[in-house]
Amino acid sequence: MPSMLDLDDPFRFLGNDGEVAGIIRNYDWASTPLGPVESWPPSLKTSTALLLQSPVPIVMLWGEAGVMIYNDAYSVFAGHRHPSLFGSNVREGWAEIADFNDNVMNVGLSGRTLAYRDQELTLHRKGYPEQVWMDLDYSPVPDEEGKPAGVIAIVVETTDRVLAERRNKEEFQRLQSLFEQAPTFMAMLSGKEHRFELVNPGYRELIGGRDVAGKTIIEALPELTGQGYYELLDEVFATGQTVRRFSERVYLQREVDAPPEERFVDYVYQPIRDETGIVTHIFVQGSDVTERVRAEQRQRLLINELNHRVKNTLASIQSIVSQTLRGVHSKEEASAAITARILAMSRAHNVLTEENWDSADLLTMVESSMDAFRIEGREAIRISGPNIRVGPHAAMSIALALHELGTNAARYGALSSPTGIVDLHWNLDENEQFELVWSEEGGPAVFESERKGFGSRLILQVLPRELRGTAELVRRSSGIVFKLSTSLEAISDRPVVEGV
Amino acid sequence: MKRILIVEDEMLVAMLIEDAVTDMGHEVVGPAMRLETALETVATETFDFAILDINLAGNLSFPVADRLVELGIPFVFASGYGSAGLAERYHNAPVVQKPFAPQQLEAVLQRLL
Repeated sequence: MPSMLDLDDPFRFLGNDGEVAGIIRNYDWASTPLGPVESWPPSLKTSTALLLQSPVPIVMLWGEAGVMIYNDAYSVFAGHRHPSLFGSNVREGWAEIADFNDNVMNVGLSGRTLAYRDQELTLHRKGYPEQVWMDLDYSPVPDEEGKPAGVIAIVVETTDRVLAERRNKEEFQRLQSLFEQAPTFMAMLSGKEHRFELVNPGYRELIGGRDVAGKTIIEALPELTGQGYYELLDEVFATGQTVRRFSERVYLQREVDAPPEERFVDYVYQPIRDETGIVTHIFVQGSDVTERVRAEQRQRLLINELNHRVKNTLASIQSIVSQTLRGVHSKEEASAAITARILAMSRAHNVLTEENWDSADLLTMVESSMDAFRIEGREAIRISGPNIRVGPHAAMSIALALHELGTNAARYGALSSPTGIVDLHWNLDENEQFELVWSEEGGPAVFESERKGFGSRLILQVLPRELRGTAELVRRSSGIVFKLSTSLEAISDRPVVEGV
Repeated sequence: MKRILIVEDEMLVAMLIEDAVTDMGHEVVGPAMRLETALETVATETFDFAILDINLAGNLSFPVADRLVELGIPFVFASGYGSAGLAERYHNAPVVQKPFAPQQLEAVLQRLL
C-alpha cells in the first residue's frame, strides 16, 4: 500500500486509512459512472475526503445514478449490506426503498434540501425486513460550476429512541385507560392551591358531574368549606405525609340547586414529589362507600331494634307470668292462662312480622286475634270495620285486649253459650276519631273472675292510657259491651326509632 | 311513700312496673305511655322519682329526661337497649335493663331517692 506522503498516490486526497478508505482504494471505479479516480473532479474528491473524516454516518449519492460513497459510521448502519452496498447505485443498493431514494435524487440534484425526522423505513440490513426510524438530512453537493452533482445524506438512526418513546406512550395510554376505567375515584391536584389537573369518571360522578378541570379545590368544590378537607390537603402538601381515611363523611353538591348530599368515602391523599423531592401534586384516590356505610348503620339499627324488641318481649312475658300468678286459683289455671296469653302475643307478632313491623292492617290483626275463639259450625264472631292501618304498638295492645275479651267471652260470656254472638266493629269518623266496639249478645253479662283482674285492668286502665282515649265496659242483660274510643293519631305510632 | 312516675310504652311492662312500685309501698303516677303524655304529666303532676323507658312507640324519651334534670327530679332509664341506647349526654345516667327483677328496681330507688 502506498504511503500517504506518496505524491504519485492517486488516493492521497482521502487523508484517512479506515476500512472504507481501503475499499475506495481497491474499488473498480472505472466500471462505475464515476470513472477511474484520476478523472474525478476536485469537488468529488473533497466531498469524499470530508465525509470519510466524520464520525456521523454520512452517505454521498453521486451523479444521476446516485453512486454510493459512505463512511465507516455508515457502514455500521448498513449492516450486512456492507461492503457490497459500497459503490452501488442507490436505487439498486436499497432496492426496498427505491421510490424514496428516487425522490431524494430528484430533489437533491435540483439543488434543494430534504429533512426527515423519525422517518420510518423498512430495510433489509440483516437478511430480513426490519422497521427502522431515522433522522435524514439531504443536501446537494455542487460541482466545480456550482451545479448539483450529487446528494449528501447525514443519517442518524433513531429507532431505539422512537421505540422507547412509543413504549412510554403506550405505558401512558395504559395508565390513562386504567385511570379512566378505574372503579374508584381519582384526581390529580397540582400546587399548593390544589388545582385539578386530571379527574377520572369516578371522581366526576362523586362530585355530581361538575367540570372542575383547571380550577382550585376551593373554586371547584366550595361546599367543602368547614369540612376539614382543604386543611387536610394543605397539611399533606406541607408535610409530604400520605393520609388515609376510611368511611369519612363528606357533604357534596351532587345536584344543581340541591343541598349538599351526605356521602361516605374511603380515600388516600398521596403526595407526588418532583425529582428534587419537593411535593408538587397530590394524587387523590378513593371509593364512595356510602352504600356500605348505610348498610352497616342499618344493620346496627336493626340489631339494636331486635335486641330492644326481644328484651321488651321478655319483660312482657315476665309481666304475663307475674300477673297471672297473682290472680289465679290453681297451677293448671295459671298454666293455661299464661300459655294462652303468650300465644296471643305470638300471633300478634306473626302479623306484625309479615308487615315488617311497620304497621298492621287492623282487620288482619283482629281476625288473627279471634281465630282462637271461633266456634265451628256457626258464625259466632262477626267482624266489620273500614280498612285502617295501625302502628305496631297499638296493634299489639289491641290484640292483647281482644284476647282478654275473647277469653272472658269463651269462659263466661256469649261464646260460652250455644247461641251467643260477639259483634266486633270499628269506625273512623270525619274527625279521625276511632271507636272499637265489642258487644256480646245472647250470653251472660259477666266479665272477669280473676281476683286481681288482669284482664279488666288491661282493657279498662292500661289500654286507654296507652291509646290516649277512653274505655268503658257496660254489663247489659243481653251481654257485655266494651267500647274503646281514641284518635287515629293515637293508634298510628311510628315503627322504628332513627339513630338508636 | 313516694310518688313515682312510670313512663313505659308497652302495656304489659307498664303493668309489671306498676305492680313492682305498688308492692314497694309507693304510689304510681301514670303510667305515661307516649312521649306527649309523659311531657304533659311532668308538667302537671308532682312526683319524687321517675322510671323512664327510652323508646316510646318510636319517640325517644330524652326530652322527658331533660325536663327532669331541670326540675332536679331523680330518675332511672329502663330499657331493652341497656346503656347502649342512651344519648351522649346521658351516658352515665343510671339504667336498668329490661327485663329486671323488682329487687333491682328497689335497689335503684333506694340509692337515688
